Amino acid sequence: MLSSLGQTQYSSANLLSAKELSNQPVDRMSRRIAIVEDEAAIRENYADVLRKQGYEVQTYANRRDAMSAFDIRLPNLAIIDIGLENEIDGGFTLCQTLRSMSDTLPIIFLTARDNDFDTVSGLRMGADDYLTKDISLPHLTARIAALFRRLDVIDKPPSPESLLQRGQLTLDVGRLTVQWGKQPVPLTVTEFWMVHALAKYPGHVKSRQVLMQESKIFVDGSTITSHIKRVRRKFIQVDPEFDCIETVYGMGYRWNSEPVLAE
Amino acid sequence: MFLPFKNPFGIRFKLVFLSSFLLIIPWLGYQYILEMEDYLRRGQERTVLGTAQALATALNERPELFDEGTFSPARYSEDLYVYPIFSPLSLDDGSLTDWREYQQYEVNYDYENFLQTPLNPIRPYDIEKSLSFKHMVGEFNGSLYAYFKVKDDRLVYRDRASLSVHRSDFLQISMLSRESNQLNRYVIAPYESEFLYPYRVGEDYSDPVYEQRISGQWYETDSGYEVELRIPMEMLGERLGFAIFDVDNPKTRSVHTVVATSEVGDRERLGSLRLPTPEIDRIVAGMGHNNSRIQVVDRSGRVLLSVGDIQTATGLQLSTADSDEPVNKYWHILQDRILDPLYYQILSQPSNNFIDDLYSGVAREGAHIDSALDGVPRTQYRTLADSETRLLEAAHPILAGGEVLGATVVDQNMNGLRTFRNQALESLFNTMLAVMLLVALGLFLFASRISSRIRALRNQAEGIIDDTGRVKNTIIPSANSDEIGDLARSFSSIVERLTQYTNYLQNMSSRLSHELRTPVTVVRSSLENLSMSEQKNSEASVYLDRAEEGIKRLNLILTNMSEATRLEQMLQTSEKEKIDLCKVVDGCVEGYKLAYPSVRFISDFPGQALHVNGVPEYIAQLLDKLIANAVEFSYPNQPISVFCRALRDHAVLKVRNAGPFLPEEMKDRLFDSMISVRPQEKQQQPHLGMGLHIARLITEFHGGRIRAENRPDREGVIVTVVLPMFYK
Repeated sequence: MLSSLGQTQYSSANLLSAKELSNQPVDRMSRRIAIVEDEAAIRENYADVLRKQGYEVQTYANRRDAMSAFDIRLPNLAIIDIGLENEIDGGFTLCQTLRSMSDTLPIIFLTARDNDFDTVSGLRMGADDYLTKDISLPHLTARIAALFRRLDVIDKPPSPESLLQRGQLTLDVGRLTVQWGKQPVPLTVTEFWMVHALAKYPGHVKSRQVLMQESKIFVDGSTITSHIKRVRRKFIQVDPEFDCIETVYGMGYRWNSEPVLAE
Repeated sequence: MFLPFKNPFGIRFKLVFLSSFLLIIPWLGYQYILEMEDYLRRGQERTVLGTAQALATALNERPELFDEGTFSPARYSEDLYVYPIFSPLSLDDGSLTDWREYQQYEVNYDYENFLQTPLNPIRPYDIEKSLSFKHMVGEFNGSLYAYFKVKDDRLVYRDRASLSVHRSDFLQISMLSRESNQLNRYVIAPYESEFLYPYRVGEDYSDPVYEQRISGQWYETDSGYEVELRIPMEMLGERLGFAIFDVDNPKTRSVHTVVATSEVGDRERLGSLRLPTPEIDRIVAGMGHNNSRIQVVDRSGRVLLSVGDIQTATGLQLSTADSDEPVNKYWHILQDRILDPLYYQILSQPSNNFIDDLYSGVAREGAHIDSALDGVPRTQYRTLADSETRLLEAAHPILAGGEVLGATVVDQNMNGLRTFRNQALESLFNTMLAVMLLVALGLFLFASRISSRIRALRNQAEGIIDDTGRVKNTIIPSANSDEIGDLARSFSSIVERLTQYTNYLQNMSSRLSHELRTPVTVVRSSLENLSMSEQKNSEASVYLDRAEEGIKRLNLILTNMSEATRLEQMLQTSEKEKIDLCKVVDGCVEGYKLAYPSVRFISDFPGQALHVNGVPEYIAQLLDKLIANAVEFSYPNQPISVFCRALRDHAVLKVRNAGPFLPEEMKDRLFDSMISVRPQEKQQQPHLGMGLHIARLITEFHGGRIRAENRPDREGVIVTVVLPMFYK
């Protein structure tokens, strides 16, 4: 399942170049969300909440049903569980297939599996976010809204008030995009919120607890650690010299403004 | 539990001990060979007796063979027995060395053979000391040879001016002449040591006439003088006698004493001349090639003739080993230097260089001869005093007309048999030694192999479970198909199942949390849905809040439960780097001061950096757990001290707090999964005892060790983490 790594770039990067979805302004009412989840109660609970939010929701219990529906028409956003009925990694397969059908379709993994390995795998498959089922429903809806907003504003000129400039770092709070220098950094929504929390007050130490709250997830400390590691890696891929996120052992993390000469 | 006494004897020792029973085999072989020797000896005995009997049978009923011409019974030392001599004797060499091999036949004459003659009418009182002689006669090539070894305290030679021949030391020879059968007297009275100049004299030693047919030499010795002479056989009749006349006073020149073989003055009482009987010779010679010494003795025990010599009479014809076949040089050295000396500690090696004292005389004695002369054939063994040699002697009577005429004596030494036995034993010992060495070596190797395999298995079995009872290693199943291999395999499968079970237990929390997560999600999402949709009813919202609170705690528990598993998975993919432990710990402590504002921290760090190979996040996580624990168990207003030092090539990190001490039995298990010593009432928050387990996982990931101890004053606990220092 990891063989698709080369073919799918980080999906968030693809989002920025997406054209077809963002060109036609989509009303919230017409936004279709597909939930692929084999546990009926959870599926229906999520569907109910999202329907109340005004989305059009389709639910599927397994990969086969989902695929036959997706072959006819793609949803605007897909929420996928990894384990689907008898397929342990059915969600991964589905994600790969979806990503091959559309580069821009936002895909969220919503799963009970909270280990690092699955997280990394899922994100490499091209998912836009990887959430555990600990997440509360309000957080989930906020995340979905953020993803849609990112799609919406992709073509609009960045409004200066929504921009946050820290040295080479440019955070577009409206679009949830990040640029380092002029290079876009492909962060997931969770990661964006973490960077945002850190960079808002450079030099301030943010504990893991704070980062968790800011990024609207509920995980344990070590998951935050691996999130931060991933964020660092993504920045370093853009700029090998990147060294702005500092670990303050025992306390948390801190954004250090890079020296002025870097400009 | 009762510990059984440890047996100090391993399998190897026992096997070697058991194999020592193999030593019985050479003993059996030894016994067998002894028995065979006994059997052979009896065979030899029978052979020897048979030879004696055969010879005796050939000589039976032929009395004429034992008596040449006269029936007078042979009186000891009066008759002269003539022994055959086989090589020419030199009469002018001044010594008796050429007589050596015949000296055994010499006869001693002393004062008992004193003879009264007209020259010495009075028997002197001191005759014992003054004169004796040893003498023998033999025949060679038609001549009679004789020598006299005379012991004389004072030699008086014939006066050169004197005509008479009887006024000095002289030798008289009396014989019946062959032609006239009258008594002839000859006197040898030298002037000094010289060649013999014998005279024929009359009855009163008058009218000496030179007799040239008798020749020989007279010479002095330390104790007296010796005379060697030769008489042609044609001079000799049936009787012959010798007398030594001794003159001690050169002034008076009167004969002091006379010792004679027989009455030399009386032709009737002269001793007979016993010539070797050619008939017996012929008969005996026919039997003389059977590796024995054959003797024929007459009634008085005098040896009439002797064929063969006892030194070579080994009885058995030993075939000497063929030296054609190349013998290994090293084997030879081994045999000569080591084995033979060892063997001959036990075995006696007979030598053929023995002297049979009993045979040096003319007569033969012994129980067998006595018995044979009494008419009963008999064998006997005799061990020579000076050597290891044993002799087998058989005597058989020779009968004539119901009267015993003499006996045949057949002797063999036992050296042949002994040598044969020794050779057999040697080869037996060699074979046994080789076999035993091989067997012992084989057994030793076998036992070593077995015991080393068992020891290896034991070591493996001991290494399976560590001090805390966790399964660490597995047992490599043996490919060997024997019992030990079976044991190893069954051990291996036991351990495998045990490991599976332990893994199952260890992963249970994680699995459980995973399984529980879905129903919890169901409940939580339902509650959230409810709270979102429900009109704000204050009564309902209270319950919803409580339910959500419960769900949150449940979630926390689930997260904690899977934390260790998650960490383990992450550790597998983490890469270590060189970090300064002090800096990490220092940063952490600063953080804790903020996080636990009510607790006082004392840090004690060395001035310099303390580099370890590790992952700083995990070190921090480890410290988090230790500090959280310490804070939780600390008495209020008591400081928590964090200590960090390099100790040789290890970095030591200590966290100590004042608080209740640990129960002894919990100290080792404290770092296991789901172990907690928290009293039940202290549980404000859910605790699963994962904290210290995680601390241990991280420590072990860094190749270190962690342990918890009570403070010496029992007023708190010290947790010590030892990490290896960084090496390039």
